[in-house]
Amino acid sequence: MLRRDLLAGLFWLGISIFVCMESVRMDVGAFHSPGPGFLPFWSALILGTLSILLMVTSILRKKWERGIMNLWKGLEWNKVLWVLFSLFLYPVVLPIAGYLITTFGLMAFLLCIMKRSKVWIMGMSALAIALISYVIFYTLLHVKFPNGIFGF
Amino acid sequence: MDIFHNLFYGFTIALQPINLLFCFFGTVLGTLIGVLPGIGPIGTISMLLPATFHMSPTSAIIMLAGIYYGAMYGGSTTSILVNIPGEAASVVTCLDGYEMAKRGRAGPALGIAAFGSFIAGTLGVVGLMIFATPLAAVALKFGPPEYFGLLLFGLTLVTYLSRGSMIKALMMGAFGLILSCIGLDSIQASPRMTFNIMELWDGVGLVPVAMGLFGISEVLINIEQTETSEILKTKIKSFFPTVVDWIQSKGAILRGTVLGFFFGLLPGGNPVIASFLSYGLEKRISKEPERFGKGAIEGVAGPESANNSATSGSFIPLLTLGIPSNVVMALMFGALLIHGMRPGPFLLKDHPDLFWGVVSSMYIGNVMLLILNLPLIPMWVQVLKIPYRILFPLIILFCIVGAYSLNNSTFDVVVMMIFGVFGYLFRKFEFEGAPLMLAFVLGPMFETNLRQSLLFSKGSFLIFFNRPISAVFISIAILLLITSVLPYFKKVKEKYEVST
Repeated sequence: MLRRDLLAGLFWLGISIFVCMESVRMDVGAFHSPGPGFLPFWSALILGTLSILLMVTSILRKKWERGIMNLWKGLEWNKVLWVLFSLFLYPVVLPIAGYLITTFGLMAFLLCIMKRSKVWIMGMSALAIALISYVIFYTLLHVKFPNGIFGF
Repeated sequence: MDIFHNLFYGFTIALQPINLLFCFFGTVLGTLIGVLPGIGPIGTISMLLPATFHMSPTSAIIMLAGIYYGAMYGGSTTSILVNIPGEAASVVTCLDGYEMAKRGRAGPALGIAAFGSFIAGTLGVVGLMIFATPLAAVALKFGPPEYFGLLLFGLTLVTYLSRGSMIKALMMGAFGLILSCIGLDSIQASPRMTFNIMELWDGVGLVPVAMGLFGISEVLINIEQTETSEILKTKIKSFFPTVVDWIQSKGAILRGTVLGFFFGLLPGGNPVIASFLSYGLEKRISKEPERFGKGAIEGVAGPESANNSATSGSFIPLLTLGIPSNVVMALMFGALLIHGMRPGPFLLKDHPDLFWGVVSSMYIGNVMLLILNLPLIPMWVQVLKIPYRILFPLIILFCIVGAYSLNNSTFDVVVMMIFGVFGYLFRKFEFEGAPLMLAFVLGPMFETNLRQSLLFSKGSFLIFFNRPISAVFISIAILLLITSVLPYFKKVKEKYEVST
C-alpha cells in the first residue's frame, strides 16, 4: 500500500524540480548579483532536499503508516467531492446567471448535501440566504456583483 | 509621562462612537467565532478583510484586533461545556475545564477563564504600551542584513514550534517562499511563474490563500465527519469562582500572563503554543500534578491567561518592526498594507493615532468581553446548538464573496478554491498551513533584504555575521535547526549501537 509520506514526498519533489527549471529560465544570477530566479531556485532546492528526506524516512520507518485510502476510511468523503464540484462550478456560472440565481442554486445544493429536509424548507432557506446576502453585500458593502444575462 | 499622554490621546480616538461600535462588533464576533467550532479567527479575519476597505485604517484594525482577542475569550466556552475547543488556543482548556464541568463546576471554570483572560489581556496591553516605543527606536537601526536575520529567525522559529513534523513544516515554509515569488520581480519587474495569466502579475492574493487554506479547508474537514457532539447538560449556578479557586489560580494567571506575553512577542510565537506551554508549566510546578486532567482550576486559568496575553504581545513585532509573528498578524499586516500603511518603526511616528487608538481600544475591548462573556453564556450555549449543516453554507458564501470583492474578479474565487483543496489535502497528509502562510507573507521582505544585502556586500554572506544584530538572529536560527535535527541522529546512533 502506497505510504502517505512517500506520495507527498514525490509530489513535492516534482514541484521543486519544476520550480528549479523555471528559476533557471528566469535567471538565477550570482551571489554578487542575485537575479529574479534566485530565491525561487534556492527555496525549491531546499524543498526538493527535504522531500527526498521525507521519502527516505518514510521508507526506513518500520512502524506501520496509514495507507492513502485509510485517510478517508469511515468518513463521508463523497460530500467533500460534491461540495468541491459545486464550488468550482460557481465562478463559471456566476457571470452568466448573475449573483442571485447562482447563489440560490449553490445554497440549495449545499443544504441538500448534508441532510435532506422538506424541499420547500431548503428552497426557502436558500432563497432567504441569497436575498439577505445580496442586500448586505451589494447594498450595504457596495460589492459589485455581475448581473448575468437576466440583469440581476 | 509620555506614555500616559499618548494613552490619553489614544482614548480620545478609541472612544469615538464609530470606533466604539467597531470594537464592540469585533469583540462580539470574535467571541461568537471562538464559541463556534469549525471557524476560527484566521478564517473570519480573512473573510472580513475586504469589508475593511470602506473603513478607516484605525477602525479596521480595532475591529480585527477585537475579533482576535475576542476569539480567545469565546474558545473556552465550548472547551468547558462540550469538550471541543472553539478554536485552537483553547485545546488544552478541554483537559481540565470539561472535567470541572462534569463535576458540576462549569460556572467557576467559565468564570476563571473569563476573569483570567481579562486580567491577562489588560496586563498584556500594558506590556504592549511599555515595550513598543523603545523597540521601535531600536528597529530604526535595522538595515537589510538585520531585517533578513530577524526574518530568518522568525521563519525558523515558526517551523521549530509547529506541532507536527519539522521536515514537513520546513517544506511548507519553502513552498510559502516560492509562492511569494509569483508575480513581477520587485527589483527587475520581470514576470515570474505567471504562466501568461495577467491576474498573476500582481502575485497570488493573501486573502484568497488565507481563506482557502484555513476557511474552506476547515469546512471540508468538518463536513466529512460523521460524529456529532452534545452539550453537557449541567446547570450553571454561579460564574464566580470561590476564594479557594482564586487562591489556587492567582499564580497561574500571573505566570500565564508573563509567559504568553513574551511568547507572543517572539516571531513565530502564537497563543496556541503559549497556552500549551502554560499548561505544561503549571503541571510541572504544581505540588499536586496528579490533579491535572481531573479538574485542576490552574489548568484552566493558566492557559486561558496565556492565550490572551499572547495576543497583545504579538502586536508588538508587527507594529514596531513590521514583522508579523503569526498568521493572524500576517493578515493584519495585509490589512495595513491594503490601507496604504507600512507596519514598522515609522508607523508609531507617522501614524500615532492608529497605534495608540488600537492600544486604547484593547483596554476597552477587554472590559466589553468580560461584561459580554459571563452573562451571555446561556446565549452562546444556544448558538452552539445551530446545526453545522446550516452554518457551513454561510461560511462558504462569506468566503466566496470575500474573495470576489477584492478585485471584483472570479479569478480570486478560483484561487481560494484551489488553496481550499490544498489546505484539505495538507491536513490529510499532516502538513501545517501556518509555516506556509507566514513564509508567504514574509517572502517579499525576505527576498528584498537578502538581495539588497548581497548586492551591498558583493555576494559575501559575511555581511550577516559582521553585524551583531543579524549575527545573533542567524546564529539562533542555525542553533534551532541543529537542535531539531539532533534527536533524530541520536535515535539513529542508538539503533546502530543496539544492532551491533
